Formats: sequence, C-alpha cells, structure tokens
Amino acid sequence: MNEERTEEILAAHAEALLGRPENLSQTNVTDEEQQELAPLFTLAEQLNQNMSPVQPSAAFVRSLGKELANSAQRQVAASQRMRRGVLIGAATVGSLVSIASVVGAVVYLISRLRARSHAQVQ
Amino acid sequence: MSEESDSVLIARAKEDTEAFSLLYERYVRNIYNYIYYRTGNHHDAEDLASRTFYRALKHFARYEDRGAPFSAYLYRIAHNMVANWHRDRSRRQVVPLNELVVSSLKREQPAAMAEQKAEQDVLLDAVHKLAADRQQLLIHKFVDQMSNAEIGQIMGRTEGAIKSLYHRTLVALRQDLLGEGNERSTDELE
Repeated sequence: MNEERTEEILAAHAEALLGRPENLSQTNVTDEEQQELAPLFTLAEQLNQNMSPVQPSAAFVRSLGKELANSAQRQVAASQRMRRGVLIGAATVGSLVSIASVVGAVVYLISRLRARSHAQVQ
Repeated sequence: MSEESDSVLIARAKEDTEAFSLLYERYVRNIYNYIYYRTGNHHDAEDLASRTFYRALKHFARYEDRGAPFSAYLYRIAHNMVANWHRDRSRRQVVPLNELVVSSLKREQPAAMAEQKAEQDVLLDAVHKLAADRQQLLIHKFVDQMSNAEIGQIMGRTEGAIKSLYHRTLVALRQDLLGEGNERSTDELE
C-alpha cells in the first residue's frame, strides 16, 4: 500500500473514531488494507479511549478568570494613562514652542524698531 | 458563552477587558488539557495555564490578528511554558506528590481497574516520549477532537502534512510500545 493511501485511511479512521464516519465510508478500505493496518487502528482506538478531556476545577477557572480581568483592567488603565501623559506632554511642548515663537517674534520686532530709530537719529 | 468571532473579540479586547475574559473562557479548557497531557499532572497544568494566560495578556497589546486562530497564539505560549518546565525538571528530578498518591491508590484498586490504569500509564508514558509536535497532534486530535484542517491551522501546517504526521506518530508510538525504540521528529525535539 502506498504511503498516501495509508495516510488517507488512517485519517479517515481517526475521524470515524471521533464520530465523523463519512470519510471512512468514502475511502472504501479493502480487507487486505484493513488487515495490514489493524495494529495501527487498535493503537488509535486505545489513544481515543485513554486521551479523554480533563476538566480543570471550577474554582481554578473562576479565580484565574477574576485575576486576569483585574490585571487586564490595570493594564488598560495604565495604557490609557500613558496615552494621556503623552498627549499632555505633546500639548505642553507645543504650547512652549508657540510661546517661545511669540516671544522671539516680539524681541525681533523690538530690536528691528530700535535699530531703525537709531539709524534715523544718526 | 459569546458567539462573537475571535477577530471581533481580539479587536474589542484592546480596550474592553470583558472581551479578553471571553477569550479566556473560550480557551482555558483547551489550554489546560494541552498542558495537562504534556505534564501529566493537575498541579503543573494549573500553574502553567495561569502563566500562559498572564503572558498572553501582557503581550496582548502587540498581538496582531493575521487570520490564524487566536488559540494558535495561546498554544505557542503554552508550548514554550511546557518546554521550559521540562528543561527545569530535567535539571532537578522530582517525584510529584500526586504520583506518590496515585501509586498508593493503585495498591488499593481492584485488580481489573489497576490493570486498566497500568495500560493507560504505559500508553501515556509512551506518548510523553514522543516529540512535542507529535504529542500536540494527538492532544488536538483525541482530546480536543479537532479535524485535520483545524489542527493544521493551529500548528501552521497543511492538512496533508497533518495526516502524514499522524501516520508517522502512530508508527513511532507502536514501535516504542513494542520496545523497538522511538523515532523522533526532526523538527521539534525537547
């Protein structure tokens, strides 16, 4: 049996074990193939029997959920604070730059006027 | 439980903490099962599941939804946690208390139950010896009952690659159980 065919049959068999038999019925497994793959089918069945879902304790799920919710709230609050901080910082810097520009312009104008009146006197 | 898609919840969770809680509720059992079957005990499963979700939350702001299931992100974190746990454990050999309890309980069980338990132990021990990607495949397939396509999405492989990995996993497991040694996957050894 070629490898691709083996993979198809094993995949279909596993699906059937999980309650989805459609693929296996479409795969048309011959008696010979069935015989050849029987040990792997048995192993898959054992895995299916022994690997059943386990349930975490309800107390654990609840308490971790609460802790994570609190932690998420703190994280969101911290990032909002940081964003607000950045915004206020940028606004402050912007304001200082504007004030400095106005002061600079006034100083420049005064010095120009002084220079002109000085020239007229001479 | 919420029926909103992962993508919607992820987008909401950046600002709304309730959305992260919904994602947690959706995946906590899967992650717990994954870790439980990788470590073999409930105590470490609780500890590592907690750390997995805390880490996911910590880095959540940087998480980008690129179409892969959110669970793939969680499984990746859980996988790294388990890998570190195995590394730490190999440095200091410890016998978990619940293993001692189990072995004392075994003596008190009726013969048939004890035999069944012993068979299960042999099988799960052999599963634990498989490479991490093979264990992950078996957990998704038999514990989570996922289809090959879903497993492929989580493990970042094609459906064909998953079928092939499943075949190789069964063969390796059988060889190990027959005492022929185990073939290990080349891409992920711990």
